[in-house]
Amino acid sequence: MELLVYLLLSGLTTGSLYALIALGIVVVNKATAVINFAHGELFMFSGFVAWMLHVQMGVPYLPSLLAAVAFGFLLGAATDLIAFRPLKNANIISLVLATIGIAFMLRGTARVIWGGKGDYLPFPPITSPEPIMIGGIMVIPQQLAVLAGSIVIMVAFAAFFRLTRAGKMMQATADNAKAATLAGIRIDRIYMLSFGTGAAIAGAAAALMAPLTLLYPDMGFSFFIKGFAAAVLGGLTSLPGAVLGGISIGIIESLAGGYLHSSFIEVSAFIVIMFVLVVRPTGLLGSTRFRRV
Amino acid sequence: MTLKRCVKAGLSGLFLAVAALQPGQAQVPGVTADTIKIGSFGALTGPGYLYGKLPMNGIEVVFDQVNAAGGINGRKLELVREDDRCDPAAAIGAVKKLIHEDKVFAIIGGGCSNATVAARETLAEARIPVIIMASVHDGITTPVAPTIFSTALTSSLESAAMLQFALDQGAKRIAVISMRDAWGRSRYTPLIEAFQKKGIKPVLDEEMAPDANDATAQVLRLKGANADAVLVVLYPKPAAIFMRDAQKLGFKPLAVGQSGIADPAAFEDQVGSPGATASFRTISMVRYTPEDPAVDKWRKAIEAKFPGDRLSVFNLFGIGSAQVMVEGLKRAGPDLTREKLVAALNGLKDFETDVYPGGITCVETDHRCNKNPAWIAKEPGKPVRVLGVTKVE
Repeated sequence: MELLVYLLLSGLTTGSLYALIALGIVVVNKATAVINFAHGELFMFSGFVAWMLHVQMGVPYLPSLLAAVAFGFLLGAATDLIAFRPLKNANIISLVLATIGIAFMLRGTARVIWGGKGDYLPFPPITSPEPIMIGGIMVIPQQLAVLAGSIVIMVAFAAFFRLTRAGKMMQATADNAKAATLAGIRIDRIYMLSFGTGAAIAGAAAALMAPLTLLYPDMGFSFFIKGFAAAVLGGLTSLPGAVLGGISIGIIESLAGGYLHSSFIEVSAFIVIMFVLVVRPTGLLGSTRFRRV
Repeated sequence: MTLKRCVKAGLSGLFLAVAALQPGQAQVPGVTADTIKIGSFGALTGPGYLYGKLPMNGIEVVFDQVNAAGGINGRKLELVREDDRCDPAAAIGAVKKLIHEDKVFAIIGGGCSNATVAARETLAEARIPVIIMASVHDGITTPVAPTIFSTALTSSLESAAMLQFALDQGAKRIAVISMRDAWGRSRYTPLIEAFQKKGIKPVLDEEMAPDANDATAQVLRLKGANADAVLVVLYPKPAAIFMRDAQKLGFKPLAVGQSGIADPAAFEDQVGSPGATASFRTISMVRYTPEDPAVDKWRKAIEAKFPGDRLSVFNLFGIGSAQVMVEGLKRAGPDLTREKLVAALNGLKDFETDVYPGGITCVETDHRCNKNPAWIAKEPGKPVRVLGVTKVE
């Protein structure tokens, strides 16, 4: 029983980070029908901004996190201006290649700026590094902070999407861009807002994740793959699906590693995804409608 | 024939005549009457710079010292650096440039193993003398390439030493946690062979991905198997996650690392959990920590030449390999050729450098010239210390 509790807790923590990355991917995809392959690098870059502020400049953690979110938003909006807007009428391959180009550019820039400061950069924990006992279970407070932070961000994002005017306009554009245009919504701005919001969530995820793991310029792609897998499992157009997909992948990995063998950690989630997609091609909560805006 | 053609023909003839009249020495690539050009390749940018740029800085301070003392047989040493970014394709391009464009006489280089393995064929075909400074993959030195020597440890030597060290510390239930990418396999496979040679089996054999962010599952399995020692065949990042989660779950075995985690002080910071690395031991290619007074001379040289840098073990890798190259060049004599340098390197026996744990010995049939891994550890709040040396046969 103790083993199961430990595995579920670790799966939930890792899964909540996957969910945050998946949310960013889905937000952009819902609005533009494009997968932003630079999402992992936006995540990485924002993480380094938080590191620079908090570790190098001594800025407290919370303002550093907020700055990473703001920076992520700006970088996402810039991705829209550079890689999406000029090509929005081009075919999907061109758009995908443009986002891959942005990814390489950001990775190269990060290598130049932060690549020479250490192989893997540590980010100090925001809570006490000493493990604590909760009901007989040893927990790192940082894990609880990440879990709580992820839940707060997901709730805040859901509120933004449902309660704010900008969120509603994003939803309307995602549902029907032509109708949204006719209703007076400037969809170019909505696309920019979508790219920015997606990257801002990635920025929050990076600042939350950084104290649990380490930062390095090539980290973006592996997180993107996990986030993308979570988004696909959830349905690629469904925001609750992204959360469900991320947490499912985290828990599947953890249980497979604990009960089968650690060699199953990396493949188990993908086996489950393949099975789900065969049975339900739209993912767990995805809709059948999928169109190119 | 027009006047223009006459001038062209005349200049060509003059050029050929001048070239033919040059002394024989000028035909040796990279060697002039007063200089010897030595090339180096490794990562100058990106996360692998530790194994490229920093050893190269070490080479450069050795060359400066040699040059200040008058050079080798009156020739000053010049270092030409090329960036391979730890990328196999870039490494092939870098060594081709050093050999064919820069026309270096010899090379001290090789940081990341995958890049150096890729460049090996080009280096061997060119028959240029090479001393590998940091790459550990067995495929670089085995089978023997006549002109490629290594002063770095090799992965199979380290794997054998890891098991031996755990046994020497009295471990009875030894487990393995490893990455299974190309780097990991180059160490994991000889490690399992070392177990077989000793007639024992690991109590548990776990895997971890290079980008893993959690090791709860692995730690719980190892704890359940009552492992008293874990051989850690991981990069610093997953190893840091493993050590952190081991502490979280109250699992405190002897953790035995390898030269991929060569800086225990940096590793302690990466783990970020006080006391989590107390039982961690790892391999160093060099016998001194950067703080040791024995390397004061090199600390001062590095800090003077590269302001802002502090001496690191990676600098020491370069210093050791450069000292071996310098010794080879001295022994090759004033009438320098590549063949003479190779013969001189093949004749090194128990050559002592300022940094390696034991003497450097190269023979024609075995170019793994450094077989003496040192063991280092850092207890919480204390400096890194050298525990001892394992001689691997």
